[in-house]
Amino acid sequence: MAPSFLYHPVQLSPAAALELAQTAPAVLKSSPSSVSSSPLFSLVGGPEKSEQWIQFENLILACLRTGDDQAARKCLERLVSRFGADNERVQALDGLVKEAMANNNGELEAVLKEYERILSENDTNIPIAKRRIALLRSMGRASDAASALVELLDFSPTDAEAWSELSDIYLSQGLYPQAIYAMEEVLVLAPNAWNIHARLGELQYMAATASGSAANGSHQKHMAEAVKRFSRSIELCDDYLRGYYGLKLVTKTLLSGEDAKTPKQTDEGGFALPDRSTLEKLHELATAKLAEIVRRAAAKERGWRGYAEADVAAARELLAQDTSAVQR
Amino acid sequence: MAQVPAQTIPRDPQLFYWILFPITVVMVLTGILRHYATVLMASSPKKLDKKTTREQRSLAHGVSVRANHYVLSRSSFTARRDALMTAYESGAFLKDQDGRGQPPPNPMNDPAAMEGMMGMMKNQMAMIIPNTLIMGWINAFFSGYVIMKLPFPLTIKFKSMLQAGVATKDMDPRWMSSISWYFLCIFGLQPVFNFLLGSDNAANQMAAQMQMAPPAGQMFGPGVDPNKQFLAEAENLAVIEHHSVLDGVEQRLLEGIKA
Repeated sequence: MAPSFLYHPVQLSPAAALELAQTAPAVLKSSPSSVSSSPLFSLVGGPEKSEQWIQFENLILACLRTGDDQAARKCLERLVSRFGADNERVQALDGLVKEAMANNNGELEAVLKEYERILSENDTNIPIAKRRIALLRSMGRASDAASALVELLDFSPTDAEAWSELSDIYLSQGLYPQAIYAMEEVLVLAPNAWNIHARLGELQYMAATASGSAANGSHQKHMAEAVKRFSRSIELCDDYLRGYYGLKLVTKTLLSGEDAKTPKQTDEGGFALPDRSTLEKLHELATAKLAEIVRRAAAKERGWRGYAEADVAAARELLAQDTSAVQR
Repeated sequence: MAQVPAQTIPRDPQLFYWILFPITVVMVLTGILRHYATVLMASSPKKLDKKTTREQRSLAHGVSVRANHYVLSRSSFTARRDALMTAYESGAFLKDQDGRGQPPPNPMNDPAAMEGMMGMMKNQMAMIIPNTLIMGWINAFFSGYVIMKLPFPLTIKFKSMLQAGVATKDMDPRWMSSISWYFLCIFGLQPVFNFLLGSDNAANQMAAQMQMAPPAGQMFGPGVDPNKQFLAEAENLAVIEHHSVLDGVEQRLLEGIKA
């Protein structure tokens, strides 16, 4: 159980998060409630470990997720006593706990006011700025959140997390070109992130299939780039399920549609669609690999257990569509 | 075969308790003291205001666009390049728009830069003063003794290092004087400090000197004109010959899987 403290609890499954949250009382008990910074203490008690504080931070998140607000509060007190209430990260966690404990919209508004007060004192407090954006978004004010994010990214354009959140907000509003632009910024900052490549492929596919894209001729360009993005993500990560899933979906759509028969050469810098035989080969490859992943994940073979169940189920469904089509 | 009889020097066993041990203890204690002195004197990292952050991160953004341009398609790269170059050349990201083209201010007059130099001075002082004092102390009290014999043979070259302060020509280099023990302590106590103070301690001056070597943060150091940096970066962006990693990725993939 010990190493999972160091993972971000958002990535944990609900069951794992609950298990983690239930260790909170034991952790709180086993570590001293006040940390002395005197030299004597550190000589006697051994050096202070930074993992300990990451552990508390993750415990707070796990506890909030599982509804154990009291334990979260106690963990937060530990962090406050160590780093002080005016530490930026602690301020953000404090706000998070307050948000989670708010019962109605009025209390959330109060938290929002508090964030704005902190930001008016120190406008480079990025953790608080991000909390404010997240709160705006969860209160349903997505366009406010987007403009606040744009402002944040104006003075800190090297923040991959913020770019990807912006992409997500734009996507939720149906602004595909903007979402794609923001996701490309993430890639510029993390060029070998295969999940971002695959995500960008998904965005391209969504943009291609959205209504209206066929009319203005960008359909084919988006589809071509989607194929390439998924291929790149598989190239970077051999057994990446989402990459194969997307590749299969895109090539299937292309093969069944009219595009592949009449490949137009685009000249204004877009990618050209691969020819039909390549698409067929890619489709074959993706189908075979997906089938293998589904089979092995279902059998819980060693080294194949890491896939999320929902992903595997979706892949199985996609494969099932194929076989039913053949039977008919 | 006549073997040279091993040199033996009768030593008072009390030498161990009154010289070797005190020097070691003093060295360890100084290290700990230096660590806490550094911690206490360390000024907290200065907060950057919004405009400085913007200036630095915009430049970093341009650098990463330049370095990772291959993940973008041609059209998105061209759009970014044009936008960044226009902004760089017009100085839109500069902290003080009015100061463009003027020579950079003298770093000696910039209070922020002075603070950074003071910090470095403090660290240097924390290293130099105790070392000078202890070396003087050892020279004054313990010079001229042979205090121990190393358990392994050494070549003659080590003589000047190990027998500093003992001017005897024929003595085996294995014999050590107190000042050499002091030097050994300087170089060899790092694991002890790691154990006592944690791995990122400031007790050992050797580590501190290592850090000194690369001029960290030179990119935005005092006396560097950000406008010139922006112009240089715009030029770098302009000369990029764009290629995309997505060109022919399907072929690569198909071939790679088959092979």
